[in-house]
Amino acid sequence: MKLWLVFTVSLFVSLTAKAAPMGFKDSWMTMGDFSKTFREQTVNYALTPRDAIGITSVYMQTNNYSQSQLNNELTYTRLVKRWNMPEAQANIWFFGGVGETTGNYFSGTKATVSPGVQADYETTRLYVSANARIYVADGITNNVVSARAGFSFYEANYDETQPWLIVEARRMSMVSTQYEVTPMLRLIHNRFFVEAGANLHGQPRLSFMYVY
Amino acid sequence: MKKIFIATLLAAFLSPAFAVTSMKATVNGMVCAFCAQGIEKRISKMPATKAVYVDLKKKTVVVEPKEGMVLDQKAILEEVKDAGYDVVKVESVSKSVAELKAELAGDK
Repeated sequence: MKLWLVFTVSLFVSLTAKAAPMGFKDSWMTMGDFSKTFREQTVNYALTPRDAIGITSVYMQTNNYSQSQLNNELTYTRLVKRWNMPEAQANIWFFGGVGETTGNYFSGTKATVSPGVQADYETTRLYVSANARIYVADGITNNVVSARAGFSFYEANYDETQPWLIVEARRMSMVSTQYEVTPMLRLIHNRFFVEAGANLHGQPRLSFMYVY
Repeated sequence: MKKIFIATLLAAFLSPAFAVTSMKATVNGMVCAFCAQGIEKRISKMPATKAVYVDLKKKTVVVEPKEGMVLDQKAILEEVKDAGYDVVKVESVSKSVAELKAELAGDK
């Protein structure tokens, strides 16, 4: 009951995200997000246009390396709702993860669950999103909340590379009570999606998505 | 009468209607190449498909059939829907994908 309360609160506190976190039906998607304090690698498969299953590995650590945690999970991604408009698209996504976690500030291996949600709105020139996810194990609760906003330098067509400037504010409870702000350059070209930038402390960040 | 018949026959053979008939669909929600690629990938795999063109600016998907084959319009619309989008208008046009691509590019 307490976990659900924390989860529900975290959803309303936050809000941030990525582009579509799953591909089209029968496609595979691989994603990565790498920075000093957060590293995530995911592979998922779209069973239907709205459901994907996969595996993910999330490593979190504090800036001074004093605490670290590794979660390995089976994941489920669900497109809860999509609004298709003539010039825009909006989505609500649900994420769920079940697996195990290990860390240097607790002993042994613990079972973990990680529910999350994402809401996003996108046109060919503008992007905004919000994301909240909570990582829960016995006696351990970490949440990651973020919000993104950005614009494309120009409207590109399907077979052209499109550059975006995206700014993300992200707070990871395990790392800090402060929001980490990271401006990033996003490049989209067909099945490739890459973001690179550095937070305001100069720590580099790289993320990618690839569908096949 | 004979001349009219020959002229009609010639017109029939030379008219665009005798050329390829592509399917042109206007699609809502198609704003990103990364997200829309499912449309191209899945429709390209259909047996009657010769070429697919996705135009994000015009929110248009054009499908050209292979010579002598007929597109399964219902199946194509289902693929677009399965890719996560809404088709709001469908037209049959007597042009190839290459011609429509040039035409759409010229409208920009």
